[in-house]
Amino acid sequence: MTVRHPCRSDFPALLREFDGQTISYLDNAATTLKPRPVIQAVTEYYETNGANIHRGKHRLSEEASDAYEAARVVIARHLGAAANEVVLVRNTTEALNLVAAGLDLPPDAYVVGCLDAHHSQMLPWRRAGRLEMARVDAHGRIDREHFRALLRGRPRVVALTHCSNVTGVVHPVAELVAEVRAACDAVIVLDAAQSLPHRRVDVQELDVDFMAFSMHKMLGPTGVGVLFGRSAQLARLRPLSVGGGMVDWVDLDGSVDRRIPYTFEAGTPAIASIIGSAAAVRYLEAQDTPQQHQHAEELCAALVGGAVTRPGVRLIGPPDTTDRIALASLRLDDRIPTGEVARLLSDSYGCMVRSGHMCAQPLVSGTAGGEVLRVSAYLYNDVAEIEGFYQALDELLSWIAPVAATGEKLS
Amino acid sequence: MSDPSLFDAVREEIAYAYENTVFFRKHMEDNGLRPQDIRTAEDFRRIPPTSKGHYRRGFPAAVLAKGYTLTSPNVMRFQSSGTSGERLNSAIMSYDLARRQATGFGVHRGFDGLWQPGSRPRLCRFAPPNCSDVECATGFSTMEDRILPDGTLVLTVAHDLLATPEWQIVKALDEIEDYRPDLLVVDPTHFAFLTRWARRLGRKISSPRKLHLVSGYTLFTRVARRQIEEFMGPELPIGDMIGMSELGYLGFECHRRRRHVNTKDFYLEFVRDGRPVEPGERGELFVTTIDDALIPRIRYATGDWFTPLGEPCPCGSELPVVRIEGRGTHMVRLPDGRTVTPGAVDALVGDAPWLDLYKLEQDRSGDCAFRYVPGDTARPQDAAALEARLMEALAPARVRLEAVTYISCERSGKFQPCVSHLSAEGAR
Repeated sequence: MTVRHPCRSDFPALLREFDGQTISYLDNAATTLKPRPVIQAVTEYYETNGANIHRGKHRLSEEASDAYEAARVVIARHLGAAANEVVLVRNTTEALNLVAAGLDLPPDAYVVGCLDAHHSQMLPWRRAGRLEMARVDAHGRIDREHFRALLRGRPRVVALTHCSNVTGVVHPVAELVAEVRAACDAVIVLDAAQSLPHRRVDVQELDVDFMAFSMHKMLGPTGVGVLFGRSAQLARLRPLSVGGGMVDWVDLDGSVDRRIPYTFEAGTPAIASIIGSAAAVRYLEAQDTPQQHQHAEELCAALVGGAVTRPGVRLIGPPDTTDRIALASLRLDDRIPTGEVARLLSDSYGCMVRSGHMCAQPLVSGTAGGEVLRVSAYLYNDVAEIEGFYQALDELLSWIAPVAATGEKLS
Repeated sequence: MSDPSLFDAVREEIAYAYENTVFFRKHMEDNGLRPQDIRTAEDFRRIPPTSKGHYRRGFPAAVLAKGYTLTSPNVMRFQSSGTSGERLNSAIMSYDLARRQATGFGVHRGFDGLWQPGSRPRLCRFAPPNCSDVECATGFSTMEDRILPDGTLVLTVAHDLLATPEWQIVKALDEIEDYRPDLLVVDPTHFAFLTRWARRLGRKISSPRKLHLVSGYTLFTRVARRQIEEFMGPELPIGDMIGMSELGYLGFECHRRRRHVNTKDFYLEFVRDGRPVEPGERGELFVTTIDDALIPRIRYATGDWFTPLGEPCPCGSELPVVRIEGRGTHMVRLPDGRTVTPGAVDALVGDAPWLDLYKLEQDRSGDCAFRYVPGDTARPQDAAALEARLMEALAPARVRLEAVTYISCERSGKFQPCVSHLSAEGAR
């Protein structure tokens, strides 16, 4: 009998069956499932309160405001940041757009990014300035020489990606930051959406100016993005949205904005989801054990090992487990429709994986030549599920492309 | 329902499925049955019905017959959104599809000239996006990108019919003109929408070839039919297809406008509470394939309900005549235990020249909302008269009529004219 990870029972969605079949949820890079404490925190807010935050003097409003601000503190503490350095927005994309638009860069401002960036760390900078992207090698590791060469142009902003959502590569951000600091005075903006769910980041140690991530990729509810910004950097940002909640005073002649971080939080936020985010952080911190780290390494090894030894698939990313998360993007034979395979893996085998360009089309088109199948594991997954996924893939390929499945390894 | 002489072929199909598919052998063994136990129609009913779920989960490994793969010659693969989210991945032999289609078209004299020796009809499809095997919904693709291996041109269709942008409508009209089809295979609500736009834009939908129209995918409402006939003219042969993606043509409308089911290529049962229904009673259609070498299906419960009428048709076809009732999960459930089918609701609405589109929706409490998009000629008394008819037919459930300018589609892009959340919930 297979021994399942003990925390699985905390995730009610994993109890679902389709056509009498249990599911293996392996699409965690897109979003993670939610544990009961998170669901309960969200539900409790709606069941016992439901009032709007801030500006209200009644008891329910004050209680809701307290819970909301307490969540900000929990998130800030998780990062090693001060609470006023944490801006709560809708998602990573909004957080990055807030910085790109809010810096008020001149149209020709030189920005350095990286080719493996998610569209959300690419398109805002293309709009805000002149983006040049550092190359990655065949395994998705950043081309350090090229990066250094780009820095010599003295960029105004360096937009880094901590971990690629395609290759799973975790870039040596501390070293890259040091190189930036030595070369220029660029603002450093880090997309940590894929890394933070897997490893803690201390923003005091990691000398970035801004860092963005989404709670839904780390067990939290959807609709909550976090922008960390050093207070001096946040103070220079122009708010993306104006309106209720972000001003202290409005008269016929003008208005006075609230202080950071509230000046960036116009309108009613996702109160319940933010309260639920604190529960997610607490849950994650409780799981931050050596055993869990070992488990993550085993998941990673199973994913990479399954890919590199398998004919009919090509791993997009490094063929080893060094500095990477438990994520594998697989390119199938050109004759095999990736989307159809993803659908059959779901409906016939219960394996939920993602297919497509992963919102990183330049990288995927360049390195894979077309759509990929992405398998991403998280703390509630088991090695047996990954083995099961590969068995399902083998069986499916034998039906859909017998030549590729039994033929030689694709290069 | 089917010809008893076909039963020998059914027994062969059972034996074939048992010998060649993992799923059906297990299905029989789990129920203590072997092929030789099935000698009579009564024995046959001992086989528990099979379902979409069985074939979804078992596809391809457990349901494809030995010796076939998904890349075998003549195998056509497809993914279907299904009705009400019952999605399905499946495959069919192209010649089985053609055989069943030919039987269907055979009941309609207006389709006699469609297949000419040495040529195949040029076919255009205008149907909800997820029913198509190509990425047509975004509209970024070219006409060439959307021509399937069998030569079918798939026209771009938006997921949300009434929110379709004008450029996409113009594109569909342009492409029909360019492609010069012999046959339009359409979702009736979508095509009625296209005709309304064509009229507004002063465009025609025509072809230098003799055009034919097959309606499928969703219930062919009288409202949609009226609009299509008015716009396209009386010369256009129109046939309503009874079909499923995984099986092809289960039946077709004859030139006398009656629906015939295909008992030549399938063994069909209409079943209620486990027993075959009498003529005039409605029952769920169970399908057993005949000579399907790829994915034989035995007592496949379709979820579609019909009333076999048990009477000859003046068209001369011997294929049985039925009345379409609709999906079981779409039936309106009344507090007194009666059910009203989508087909019955459509009969109540009629061709309603005063409205363009309607949808009756029963919520979980049992209340019904009838939303409609009024046409140019709508008068207050039209809605009042319909309201009275609906209230009488659906009592004691409450009915509310609402004139609107927009009604949403299912996410699949299908527009269902009658849905019941009560029935859908009960089916879960």
